[in-house]
Amino acid sequence: MGTATGIIRALNSGIKHLAIKRFTLRYPEEKLKFVGDGYQFDPSTGVGIAGLKGRHLLFHDHCTGCQLCSIACEGVAEAIAMVKVPEEHKQNKKAIMPQIDYGKCVFCGLCVDACPFYALYMTNDYELSSFSKEGLIYTPAQLQVKPYVAQDSEIIITSRGATHG
Amino acid sequence: MATELPSDVNSSEVLVDQTSSKWLPPGLALQKVDERIMTLNVGPQHPGSGHMRLIVQIDGDYIVACDPDPGYVHRGEEKMAEYRNYITNIPHLERPVIHDSCNVLYPYVLGVEELLGIEVPERAKYVRVIASELNRCIYIMYWLAIYGIFLGHSTMFMWPAGDRELLIDLMEKMTGARVTHAHFVPGGVRNDLPPNFEEVCLRQVAYFEKRIKEYAAIFYDNPILIARTRDTGVLSRQDAIRLGTTGSVLRASGVDYDLRQKEPYDVYEELDIHSNVMKEGDSYARSKIPWLDMMESCNIIRQALQKMPKSGSVRVKLKPNPKGKGLDTVYKRVESGRGSLGCYIVSDGKPEPYRVKLSVPSFRNLIALPYLLKGEKLGNMPSVYWSLNYWPVEADR
Repeated sequence: MGTATGIIRALNSGIKHLAIKRFTLRYPEEKLKFVGDGYQFDPSTGVGIAGLKGRHLLFHDHCTGCQLCSIACEGVAEAIAMVKVPEEHKQNKKAIMPQIDYGKCVFCGLCVDACPFYALYMTNDYELSSFSKEGLIYTPAQLQVKPYVAQDSEIIITSRGATHG
Repeated sequence: MATELPSDVNSSEVLVDQTSSKWLPPGLALQKVDERIMTLNVGPQHPGSGHMRLIVQIDGDYIVACDPDPGYVHRGEEKMAEYRNYITNIPHLERPVIHDSCNVLYPYVLGVEELLGIEVPERAKYVRVIASELNRCIYIMYWLAIYGIFLGHSTMFMWPAGDRELLIDLMEKMTGARVTHAHFVPGGVRNDLPPNFEEVCLRQVAYFEKRIKEYAAIFYDNPILIARTRDTGVLSRQDAIRLGTTGSVLRASGVDYDLRQKEPYDVYEELDIHSNVMKEGDSYARSKIPWLDMMESCNIIRQALQKMPKSGSVRVKLKPNPKGKGLDTVYKRVESGRGSLGCYIVSDGKPEPYRVKLSVPSFRNLIALPYLLKGEKLGNMPSVYWSLNYWPVEADR
């Protein structure tokens, strides 16, 4: 193949892409859908698999204050501290629950694996930025709130190419 | 050795600074050199990707000597591993190469399994193979994007960075995370595959394979790329073996050595693997081998999905704080995106390992750089440097 032919072929394969839809996702106007088609996230309960890169969700009626999540985090990020909560729940005799510092958390999900009472889960609420370091510390009351993340885009593969739609 | 490093790189006479006698780091001390020779620091802040410095001595446009200076992003991963137990070591040991995190973790997990004497379920082995092949593709796409921008080919930066998203999406469905998965654990994998994974995976991998074949016309058959990379930085077969290079660099020099074939781990022996070998040993061959590897990875993923048991456990339950049986050592290695990656673990019967040593392919390939760059033009330096399939953070650990 000659030099000229090679360059024309290279240009041609690039020019073909002018007619194909854009693949880029326009974040934050568009957000990727985490529901359905293989994603392991249940929007009705807000629970995702351990390792999902979003903040945690704490079920107060399941947590017994056993501190296993805090122990699991010790060698990883030391992001979990057990803090005092009002004595409302019978099963939580010590009245302590995890408080998570997202300035330290690496979202590995080992705390979720460690929880034997199915109280701690990970969600898809990944937009956690804050103007202060204190804003990154989530108290048990904040962790209880079910996240809402607007999701509209997913990867669509057609014969003409892939796009986000 | 075909070419020797010139002696004045390391042993030139250092002038004593009369005004102050403080010690200066290598490369910064005053050296008596020929007036024609100029020393150029490439880096240490991002010469391309990752922090490392290349101290290059040039005569006009030609490189006289090159002294790579890794260590700028040393994180002490090996020392950190001595203070954490076998499970909590997992998230930080995958950090050296976050794009290839499953493969970096693989030898450590295999080693710990041997120390603890755990038998892994069959389905978990297949899930691991699929995850590590997807990760290999993700790594190579990132590497290829940077190789493109190194050569000023910005389309080749955009395309792999975009198409990589398909596989990152698959990994997100599998593990929940886009890059640092922490998916492999001693005793299997952490999560089972989602219910319709096979269908989604086949669809996305088929499209991915179609896309990477399009790179041939715009990049690999492009006469401009061929003119720039052919016959630059030629590493002969003999030198490749003597310098101890590995992975794509070794296979580009005509040595057929792929650990997935030669020392199969997990279920690789049940899969039909074709290793890609080229004889030229130049930058072009070294850049083409990873691209061919991606197509091979797509084949392996398809085979693994077909042969995988459709149901069953993916994880053996471990006792809390698992520990080895007395003094024991283990060495395991796997074929990562860059080459053979080994992990040596010493256990003394405590929940923490006594020593974890990573033998990384990046460092082994970097050794070849001074020999390849001698006599090259400075403009060829980026293509030779990045064709070594080098990841600075991994070399520094």
